[in-house]
Amino acid sequence: MATLPKKESRAPNTCLGLDTNYGDGLEREHSRKPDHKRPEHYGVGDPTTPFSSDGSHLSSRGRISKWFWDLAEEGYRTYHMDEYDEDKNPNLSQSDMLQVKPSLLQYPDWRGHLFLREEVARFLSFYCRSPAPLKPENVVVLNGCASLFSALATVLCEVGEAFLIPAPYYGAITQHVYLYGNVQLVCVYLDSEVTGLDTRPFQLTVEKLEVALQGANAEGVKVKGLILINPQNPLGDIYSPGELREYLEFAKRHELHVVVDEVYMLSVFEESLGYHSVLSLERLPDPQRTHVMWATSKDFGMSGLRFGTLYTENRDVATAVASLCRYHGLSGLVQHQVAQLLQDRDWINQVYLPENHARLKAAHAYVSGELRALGIPFLSRGAGFFIWVDLRKYLPKATFEEERLLWRRFLDKKVLLSFGKAFECKEPGWFRLVFSDKAHRLRLGMQRIRKVLTGTLRVAEDPPSSRTQEPRGQHI
Amino acid sequence: MSRNRDPRSGQPRKAKTKSQNVSHQSDTLHSPHPRVMEVILHLRQIINEFILQLESRHEQEDLEQEEQQHRQNIRNQEAILIHLMCEVVNLLHSGASSSLELQLPRLSLVSKGGAGSGQQAQSSREPDQLSHQLSDSKTAFISCYLSNRGIDFSALYQSNLQDFIAYKGDKYHEDKNTLGFINFGLSENKHCIDLLTERLSQSDMNYIDDDLLQYPDWKGHAFLREEVARFLTYYCKAPDLLDPGNVVVLNSSLSVFLTLTMVLCDPGDAFLIPTPLYSGFTLTSHLYSKVELIHIHLQSKMDTQTFQLIMDKLEKALLEAKFKGEKVRGLVLCNPNNSLGNIDTLDSLKEYLEFAKRHNLHVIIDETYMLSEFRASIPFHSVLNMKSLPDPNRTHVIWGTSKSFGISGFCFGTLYTHNKEVVSAVGAFGFLHGIAGLTQHKLCRLLQDGEWIDNVYLPTNRSRMQVAHRYITNKLKTMKVRFLSRGSGLYIWVNLKEYLDPCTFEEEQLFYRRFLDNKLLLAPGKAYMCKEPGWFRLTFTDKPFRLKVAMQRFSEALTHKKQNWIEKQLENALVESVSSPSTRRSSSSSSSSSSPSSSLSFSSSSFVNVDTSHF
Repeated sequence: MATLPKKESRAPNTCLGLDTNYGDGLEREHSRKPDHKRPEHYGVGDPTTPFSSDGSHLSSRGRISKWFWDLAEEGYRTYHMDEYDEDKNPNLSQSDMLQVKPSLLQYPDWRGHLFLREEVARFLSFYCRSPAPLKPENVVVLNGCASLFSALATVLCEVGEAFLIPAPYYGAITQHVYLYGNVQLVCVYLDSEVTGLDTRPFQLTVEKLEVALQGANAEGVKVKGLILINPQNPLGDIYSPGELREYLEFAKRHELHVVVDEVYMLSVFEESLGYHSVLSLERLPDPQRTHVMWATSKDFGMSGLRFGTLYTENRDVATAVASLCRYHGLSGLVQHQVAQLLQDRDWINQVYLPENHARLKAAHAYVSGELRALGIPFLSRGAGFFIWVDLRKYLPKATFEEERLLWRRFLDKKVLLSFGKAFECKEPGWFRLVFSDKAHRLRLGMQRIRKVLTGTLRVAEDPPSSRTQEPRGQHI
Repeated sequence: MSRNRDPRSGQPRKAKTKSQNVSHQSDTLHSPHPRVMEVILHLRQIINEFILQLESRHEQEDLEQEEQQHRQNIRNQEAILIHLMCEVVNLLHSGASSSLELQLPRLSLVSKGGAGSGQQAQSSREPDQLSHQLSDSKTAFISCYLSNRGIDFSALYQSNLQDFIAYKGDKYHEDKNTLGFINFGLSENKHCIDLLTERLSQSDMNYIDDDLLQYPDWKGHAFLREEVARFLTYYCKAPDLLDPGNVVVLNSSLSVFLTLTMVLCDPGDAFLIPTPLYSGFTLTSHLYSKVELIHIHLQSKMDTQTFQLIMDKLEKALLEAKFKGEKVRGLVLCNPNNSLGNIDTLDSLKEYLEFAKRHNLHVIIDETYMLSEFRASIPFHSVLNMKSLPDPNRTHVIWGTSKSFGISGFCFGTLYTHNKEVVSAVGAFGFLHGIAGLTQHKLCRLLQDGEWIDNVYLPTNRSRMQVAHRYITNKLKTMKVRFLSRGSGLYIWVNLKEYLDPCTFEEEQLFYRRFLDNKLLLAPGKAYMCKEPGWFRLTFTDKPFRLKVAMQRFSEALTHKKQNWIEKQLENALVESVSSPSTRRSSSSSSSSSSPSSSLSFSSSSFVNVDTSHF
């Protein structure tokens, strides 16, 4: 993921601190000063800041995309382990996968081949435990969830309008909704501190949503929808059916669309958590404004397959997204393979999922054990591939600059974590650690982390002089 | 339909204001629309004229010819009145909907208002109005859930793909569905799908490894970009080896075009493009990148060559655009040409590139149809074949497998450019237009297999294309239908002007519908922004048995149309003879000479091969 470049330097300008205690404009002016450390409850991202023009042949939006690219180049090789588990390769090489038919080589229906949409509907009905069978005509198939975010943002919002999103969040979404859609994100900042009626850190509540929405409205930003990631990335948290319903009711009250990203749906390895897809709800508060996405990139560890799907009862939205599918299509042969994969319920239930969950659980147990031994606090509730690690005590000062320096030290020791800033976390010092990797690599990684952290405590006491370097990285 | 036109002078408004009109509708919803007042004033004036005309009726009744003229005028004014009223309602509607979130169905003219209503209404129908298409189709699609642009996209999608979807659901099959649709309009090469199916089923295609399942380099896997560079070096006959670092791989040629326009232009910037053009360009620039395409209209009757792009036109178009304050960023070329099947000579290519260099323009050149030339006498030259490009940093080449190999369902397109900045910027869009690693492997194997391509695929494809082309052109010749075809691409550009009475885009659309009734899809010239009504694009790259049925249906539709015309003529003659038997002789003779469709003579001499030099 890439945070936009201005964020750090312009943070005081763009993340207006709307403090509930100091609601008037004057106080808000004050809170723009960087020194003021007052809790921020929301922030409107502004991805339109001018970018340095090193590309003379490019238009200004061309320069923005080039900036994204340069950013990606730098940190690119680092995040493989995040995305992929080589042992869990589904058997795409079995003979049923290899069919080539003329129809697969010709122009498809832009929503996706019917056979695949039928299979997706069956698959989601089963794994989301929908009360009634889901319908193929509500399915649109694209080449990944990035494309889906882009298309949804474009067809639901005008240029300059916004989505609410609880932060920390999977930061790449900023780029997804911005590149084509010119849509912004309004962060609903969540706190590590458990206050009020909260029962856990970084808990999303309707109250926080209301504050953020009002704040955005007050700034003249038109909010069109809410993005929920469930299971959450990077928190590894999941929403209970009761919470989900509250959020959906909130959205309904304000006529907001809700885009629910469920790409980690099958990666809930702690059975006791009782994950519920939004499609499992008996009755959606506002079915015409509820849009669900799923993909094979996480749950099947195949980001290279480029498959993502939208489920929405809103025909207008399905059609509008489909109209953009000629730019986000996937090969007919891949569609066949995905359909075959989703069809193989025996293999998924009896081989793949148990094995995947067991491995995730073992890796999680190992890493969390190590962290405990190091005395490092962390959050992780048993979903997704990551642990949200609290390294605040290793920062000499609670700044994002220090956070980056720590990240750089990890990088120097050849271990890559993602820093919280990349997820728009507003507290410096949180890191996302991906544990879905092989045991020997995890061991090595944890050793290196230990080495850096024990060294850091010393460094923190005696800060080095060379702190000017600005590290950038991609965190996906 | 005449909303973008001054009804009195009949002059088309400038292209710029046309598009602005449309955007105004969505942008300035909150303020009262300035256009409303303007239109209401027009309306008042026209009503005055209309009443005057009606009053003057009695004085002129005596003369037959004048009476006809009179009726014509009244009909014209009626049409204009209806147009203006619709516009007022639509404008008011667009203002109201913003504040009330109330979505009333908009009034549309459909075809009633203008049908057959004489010259003024007829000349007001212009081909280059995506905006019109939009505002018309919008009437059918209104949603309170979507953004304005979302509504635009859906409306376009539905209006454009409606027939395609009908075709998909009811395809012709030689045994199972002999009454199904045959698609002469869809740009697909179905000739060698058997060869491709066979080749792609071979075992070397089915390799899987971890890398292929992980996030790729967004520019495409290195192995594929290397292969693309080798492939293009060989088939474009590049003087030096092409550099894999200049290659970006995306999921279609159109995605490459889209990302290029995104990174080279800001919204509102413009590209010059000769018409007829590939309709995908129009959609793309409208949907996502908001780049204006300034059309350079090529015409069938030119001194030199039919539909040939000449330097004068280029220079003039650029000058005019600059004069209007357009920010022209470049020129889009398509070689071999989609819809015309033309191939540019190396010399003319060089001229275009030099022109672009002189004016610091980028050139996007779409060579998706390379390898589809089927006549050795007209060789294709890629720009990559040039010793040195006039302005390598501003020359961007697009290629894909959808046409050259007839595998549109494969979703593969590639960019080749020397400009590293453009490579990075386009690469940044890769995550939105990525291809599965497994597909990339298959493509790599396919492009690698030079032996199969040279010895099996290309010769077979070429000979099948020749056979089909000969079959269709012979049929057309016996039907005395004019056409253009210069030996490349998958199309024949057919001239059916003679069947249109009057020769308008509305009639073209009606004719298209008639073909559709005969379960035959053709692509009307308007879709390609052709300036002259009456041209159709006919895709001939289909299996012989389907071509045979298709040509039967084609011929039936023409015959039917011809009969209709004759019946209409008889009817007219009859009506005239009943109403004024005394002038029977003179009126019947005058009707055949003064009729706007006097060209509608089905004599054997009407077959002219417009471009015989290339046959």
